[in-house]
Amino acid sequence: MAITINRDVVGKEYPPFPVTVERGRIKDFARAIGDLNPFYLDDAVGRASPWGDILAPPTFPIAFRDERADSAALLRDLGVDFSRVLHGEQEFEFHGQLRPGETYLCRTKIVDLYEKTGRSGPMAFVVRETAVTDRTGEIVVTMRHVTVVRL
Amino acid sequence: MKYGRIYFEDVQVGDPLPPLVKGPIEQIQLTRYAGASGDFNPIHQDEAFARAAGMGGVFAHGMLSMGFVAQALTDWAGAGTVRRLGVRFTALVRLRDTVTCAGRVIAKSSKDDVHLVELEVWAENQRGERVVTGRATVALPSRA
Repeated sequence: MAITINRDVVGKEYPPFPVTVERGRIKDFARAIGDLNPFYLDDAVGRASPWGDILAPPTFPIAFRDERADSAALLRDLGVDFSRVLHGEQEFEFHGQLRPGETYLCRTKIVDLYEKTGRSGPMAFVVRETAVTDRTGEIVVTMRHVTVVRL
Repeated sequence: MKYGRIYFEDVQVGDPLPPLVKGPIEQIQLTRYAGASGDFNPIHQDEAFARAAGMGGVFAHGMLSMGFVAQALTDWAGAGTVRRLGVRFTALVRLRDTVTCAGRVIAKSSKDDVHLVELEVWAENQRGERVVTGRATVALPSRA
């Protein structure tokens, strides 16, 4: 049965939330992917590197979420449940490196929503952008996340 | 340990990104990835839930496959070199699937001492079906 999606979400900005990059979480993330690059896992290699510490794998910022918020906030705003959504597209742009121990501010906004009919029926595409800034306000990472809702 | 694994001057348009083979995908890896990423959607964990959702069973987080593609890039170019990575998830990765990541250099440019290489990237399952397609940009050190 087809469902309708709440289109009023376009333009919605979520409350900014802080994320502290934890050394152990970087390593857990790299190991979960099976990426054993010593620049992610070995503190001594990190210290001797041009950055002076371990790096995070490129896709690590996907783990940034507002711990104080309901993790289903987007789905509730759209009026859909878990079983209807798929990850359609994802993009990361890096302006600098995330540093262990540093706290960053994340700002997420819903920038677009459009519908298309694919092989498996009608779908809505919800586009969110997140800017991750450091304590000086410089953007370190931007993310673009496209969620597909099966209508 | 040298961070850049390849110099800008040694890369030519058309060069392949060395393939990286990952998997076969096991449920335990999806559970581990859920914990590491914070994405606990039961569709990646619970066979009954995934079937009831009409997905024909559990499938991998798209972000896990994107992580594999990122690994293919950094295994070649070095950690800390990725400036941009954007992908589309084009098919589901199932349990026991093997994911092979690959790519090809499509452009090179230099400006203000920043040397960028752009690649087309993708990942395929064991049947040769593309599960991820995308573009990446890496910044490489120069010999100059």
